[in-house]
Amino acid sequence: MMDRGSIRTVLIPVFAASFVVLSFGQAMAKDGDGDKGEAIYAKRCLQCHGEEGDGLGPAAERLNPPPRDFTLGLYKFQSSAFDADLPNDDDLFRMVRDGMPGTAMPGWGDMLSEQDMWDVIAYIKRFAELEGTPEKQIDYGSQVQSSPESVAAGKKLFLADDRCSECHGVEGRGDAIKKLKNDNGERTWPRNLTKPWTYRASNDPKDIFTRISAGIPTTQMPSFADPKSKKKLSIEERWHVANYVASLPKTEKVVRPENTVIKAVRVENELPTSPDDPAWDKASPTTFFMLSQIVGKERFFKAANDTISVRALYNGDKIGIRLEWDDRTKSIPGDAKAESIAEGELLEDAVAVQFPVKIPTGMEKPYFLMGDAAKPVTLWRWSSGTTEEAESAAILDAEGIDQQETRDAAAGFTAKGSYKAGTWRAIMTRPLRTEAADKDLQFEEGRFIPVAFFAWDGSNGEVGTRHAMTTWYWLLLKPSTGAKPIIFAVIVALLIGGVLVWWARSAAARSRSAAS
Amino acid sequence: MKIPRLLQAVLVLAGVYFGFIIVFDVILGAVIPASLLAMYMFFTTAGVFMVFTYDEDQTRELVAPIKALVEDPSKRLWRNIVFAIVPLAAGGFTYVQMQPSFEAPLELRTIHPAPPSTAKIYGKRVNLLKLENPLRKIEKEDPEKFRELVNQGAAVYIQNCQYCHGDKLDGNGLYAAGLNPTPLNFQDVGTIAQLQESYLFWRISTGGPGLPKEAAPWISSMPVWQNFLKEDEIWKVILYLYDYTGHRPRSWEHE
Ligand code: HEC
Ligand code: HEC
Ligand code: HEC
Repeated sequence: MMDRGSIRTVLIPVFAASFVVLSFGQAMAKDGDGDKGEAIYAKRCLQCHGEEGDGLGPAAERLNPPPRDFTLGLYKFQSSAFDADLPNDDDLFRMVRDGMPGTAMPGWGDMLSEQDMWDVIAYIKRFAELEGTPEKQIDYGSQVQSSPESVAAGKKLFLADDRCSECHGVEGRGDAIKKLKNDNGERTWPRNLTKPWTYRASNDPKDIFTRISAGIPTTQMPSFADPKSKKKLSIEERWHVANYVASLPKTEKVVRPENTVIKAVRVENELPTSPDDPAWDKASPTTFFMLSQIVGKERFFKAANDTISVRALYNGDKIGIRLEWDDRTKSIPGDAKAESIAEGELLEDAVAVQFPVKIPTGMEKPYFLMGDAAKPVTLWRWSSGTTEEAESAAILDAEGIDQQETRDAAAGFTAKGSYKAGTWRAIMTRPLRTEAADKDLQFEEGRFIPVAFFAWDGSNGEVGTRHAMTTWYWLLLKPSTGAKPIIFAVIVALLIGGVLVWWARSAAARSRSAAS
Repeated sequence: MKIPRLLQAVLVLAGVYFGFIIVFDVILGAVIPASLLAMYMFFTTAGVFMVFTYDEDQTRELVAPIKALVEDPSKRLWRNIVFAIVPLAAGGFTYVQMQPSFEAPLELRTIHPAPPSTAKIYGKRVNLLKLENPLRKIEKEDPEKFRELVNQGAAVYIQNCQYCHGDKLDGNGLYAAGLNPTPLNFQDVGTIAQLQESYLFWRISTGGPGLPKEAAPWISSMPVWQNFLKEDEIWKVILYLYDYTGHRPRSWEHE
């Protein structure tokens, strides 16, 4: 069988290249045959978008965002002007071909021919009797190339009058202070602009310009080209903002699939005791994807978190881990502001790290989802606390997703969190070795230790088995190699050099004595 | 022109070395592990040495260039260069070898382990060797009803499976990137096209934890569907997997 990873690495640049070529400028819109499209729709699209095109397929309840309702004739990602009443056919084509990252809507370009896609588009337009072409297009003026000045100007405009930060937060992490709903009354969360893989279109400045100009119909993301808007922006200003937004993604928090090992760095002094201590930067972060807990009872389909970044430090007797994850809401039950934006009952935010009880000697590990009776796991858990109770740290012994016991403040374990501009940071420390060797992992340098992570967003109804999770990865306490390799290298070089010189000398002496 | 014996030996060794690399890495598509390569090369070197030092004349011929380099006063410049490079190279090699490796351990698992002959599913002991999809016969008997069953299977799939296995059944669901092992690609000819419906029934109802040890059940995120779905829903989703991909299940008759 072919290795899928390598296929993907080959295909992605190919898709990206074709995408750049095709997406801008007007691709040739083709006439589709809606009658032919109907059969394609029935096989490939109906399951989500519904028999009547109303978006009410059987999975609608479990998808966030839900599938588009085609009967409204409104599309989110249009390049026609904000006051045009329909999108360009090319806009639909692009969404169908490339899909919408971060949603259930896949790209169909690898399965359907171009003609098939035009046919199915002709068919979905029938649900709202969309006809003709939009009268007005977005005026792009002349593109302002990205530069430090343009990015700085864009940042000012982003923050001025709370223009974008009102919804997207001051650092663009979507940390809303408003409860947003779409036209159908469904809860929507503003995009975390620092995560490029969640942009439905792309985070190329031209696409961002398009979004700011046209808005995102059916959602509360407004148009900033609308002359009636108090916060409207000129064409040039929109380019600055687009350049700023495109500069937001932080590279160090991007998932690199080949990075499956968290390398804990050895330090000589005390471990930092504050989540924001710059000493944590001695270890470089490893970032993992999180998915919704859809494996064990009771399942949960709409987890809010999708990544977690981890660093680890250790010294002679302790290990410290810093977890960092973006969360739009600081969920402190009892806090009036947090209560007002929560979806449903407001619960605490929390995060947990999972270890096996013993470092496995062979391949066999505990079941990745909180262990089982034969192979239990330990969970280190931090919770954000309420207005009445302080944040808390706990160690849990688990034999399954619903089989956990909290231990009383165990074995010198501490945890602490801090929230800033849409990001939680939580640190956890524990002695490397403890008394309870039957329940607690005893850390060892240089061994690969399985580790997994769980996170709960209390403003998104996440509690108990409703959470985001990773599968097993590795933690390694990287032994400092010290001077050993260099000492050995010098010894080997000297020895070999010495032997060679001795050989040459004795050969020369031999030939001299032979000559005399 | 005659190639010096020493050069001949070096050329043979280099040829064998690159031969291994080409056969494994390029033709077989699996990078040869460094330890294995080292072992093969050790035996090859020993063999070459034995052949080239078969009798005294040959041995003398083989070491002649080395001897000349060390002993011949006219080769002094070359001697000094080689004597500087060899210890440095050996030191550097030692340094690199002593660096600890931080490569994650390889986890080898069997993707399609042999199924047990019987398994406990939905509280009953099922004989997997005899098990057949009870809905399959409807395909011929009543095509319209069959279509209806496939559609019901599609609903089960979209509600439960697409997050991992993908809307297009290509193993590329929204969550696939967060999973290792990755969800299997049903469009691929190496998965359901090779399997019987009874095998799928076993895999779907008992999930990751139902796998035998050689398939590393502890890392498979495939859920245990007998906890969530009814028996006939599993048979229907199996119909859908074959219908959507256009593959046919393997059946006993063809064996
Ligand atoms: C597994 C579910 C699923 C399937 C199958 C699916 N879609 Fe979607 N589709 C979605 C979701 C979810 C959205 C909404 C994404 C959003 O609002 O950000 C969507 C949105 C869309 C949009 C709207 C784009 C916009 O700009 O608003 C179009 C057009 C579309 N789908 C076409 C199709 C077509 C054509 C097919 C079949 C070839 C198809 N979809 C199959 C889930 C699906
Ligand atoms: C009233 C709230 C609100 C304001 C103000 C707002 N946005 Fe948005 N924005 C949203 C929402 C909600 C979404 C997600 C829409 C969806 O469901 O896809 C979004 C999505 C986006 C996206 C994602 C596009 C994609 O391809 O996925 C970008 C980029 C964006 N906004 C930029 C901006 C910029 C720049 C500003 C200021 C000029 C701004 N937004 C102001 C609510 C807002
Ligand atoms: C949480 C992710 C996830 C979900 C949801 C999921 N699977 Fe899987 N599935 C996997 C993974 C990972 C594998 C590969 C590992 C293994 O073999 O257990 C797999 C393997 C399989 C296999 C084995 C195929 C083969 O070639 O051996 C079948 C069949 C299967 N899944 C069917 C389904 C069906 C049907 C559903 C929905 C009812 C489903 N899966 C839902 C993750 C998932």
